[in-house]
Amino acid sequence: MPASDAAAAPGLLSRLSTMAANLTKVTTTRAPIGQTPRQVIWTLNKATLFRYTPVVRDERRHPIPLLLVFALMNKSSILDLRPGNSFVEFLLQKGYDVYLLDWGTPGPEDAQTDLGDYVLEYLPRAIRKLKSFSGSAEFNLLGWCIGAMLSTLYASLRPSDGLKSLILLTAPLDFTQHDKISLARMTDERYFDVDRVLQAFGNMPAGLIDYGAKMLKPVENFVGGYLRLFDNLDNTKVVDSWHAMNTWVSDAIPLAGAAYRQFILDFYRGNKLVKGTLTVRGEKVDLRQVRASLLNVIGEDDHITPPCQSEGILEMVGSADKELLRLPGGHIGLMAGSGAAKVAWPKIDAWLSERSA
Amino acid sequence: MSSDSSKGFFERMRGVRDSAMEDLAKLTLAWTSSDSYQAINAAISRPALLAAGIFRKATESAMADLLARLNMPSREDVLALSQRLTRIEMVLDDLGAGMDQFHRGSSRQQRPAAREREGNGDRRQAAGPPAKEG
Repeated sequence: MPASDAAAAPGLLSRLSTMAANLTKVTTTRAPIGQTPRQVIWTLNKATLFRYTPVVRDERRHPIPLLLVFALMNKSSILDLRPGNSFVEFLLQKGYDVYLLDWGTPGPEDAQTDLGDYVLEYLPRAIRKLKSFSGSAEFNLLGWCIGAMLSTLYASLRPSDGLKSLILLTAPLDFTQHDKISLARMTDERYFDVDRVLQAFGNMPAGLIDYGAKMLKPVENFVGGYLRLFDNLDNTKVVDSWHAMNTWVSDAIPLAGAAYRQFILDFYRGNKLVKGTLTVRGEKVDLRQVRASLLNVIGEDDHITPPCQSEGILEMVGSADKELLRLPGGHIGLMAGSGAAKVAWPKIDAWLSERSA
Repeated sequence: MSSDSSKGFFERMRGVRDSAMEDLAKLTLAWTSSDSYQAINAAISRPALLAAGIFRKATESAMADLLARLNMPSREDVLALSQRLTRIEMVLDDLGAGMDQFHRGSSRQQRPAAREREGNGDRRQAAGPPAKEG
């Protein structure tokens, strides 16, 4: 054995042992995600309103509370992925009073829960509690993915409820360019019978949603991610980050049947919001009624909600103060990727801090 | 020297693998975005969903019969009960919010009265608990 190889042997052994430990970790454990301290202040059925423990003194804190609303088919812990890479942690450090509405996991008894329930029963009640708890008559709202869609519906149906600013992240609102939206092709009525799926399962199963999303980029999702892990198995920092994201991705939840049906029929196929024909519980949704300050954030590489699904919405809302923010990144990477803390979060903070006083 | 050359070899292999993966990703994406893929997917899933629906209906009706014989509530009863509980929870939430508003309103009404008493020099009474009536 050459002398240089003999000298490298201990280093190689240590590297192999790190790789073995990391492999064991990702295959046998779940990463601890959603660690920021918080308290439950309200519950209704499966929905829970949390308030994150502030880390900044009262006098330095923004007086207007911020409510985060995430999508219905994944857990909201992506907003608080892990210490050092958590949007919630970042907001707290910047002095926001942060609340999170977690929709919970629907069971068979929630199969009839529709968008009207989420927008007109759950959301207004959670907001009422937030206002009474914080003592503020105004609030800001940040919605992500379907959470952004629900927030938009709320902002247009209840414009006088104290909503000061609205931030939409990768919001699927406009389905005009049907051919450019991969999920729209997948759920086209020629190939996808939504009623048959709901007859078979009641709710839209988490596994089917996950499979559909992964099939939009099959090689990257089924092979590429694992190859990236394999390439960096000796790098604990990269492995921990991968592990946290994988834990969140593999923890999908079903979507309430009636809400899913509306989402497919009224949005993907009917494009009713943009056409101005959408009604929720008999109330017409008019985007011109959205009067809150609006920041619309779009991921340029988003393949789940491509930019064409939300960039046109700015012209349709009634807000006088509105801005479109195009950022590099995908649907999730935009806010939870390694570059989010340097790009997306500071830009959102810069916009929001001016509107939180 | 030997470790450098083996490292170079692995780097080259990785490059070949990555470019092959990229090509495969483009090919697969073109295939999964095509109408023919969606049609095949639908042809496979349609009978599976039909069978799952029939199976679900059959097991639910068999289970409902069994539960009725055992004098136990059916799945439908339990689901309906859960939905009623959610409605009750909503009513309680509204009542709780109404009570909160009432308390805030009454404490706002008490504050000016207390300030008025403070202005008259009766500080002890203003700082203390509200006096009982009657």
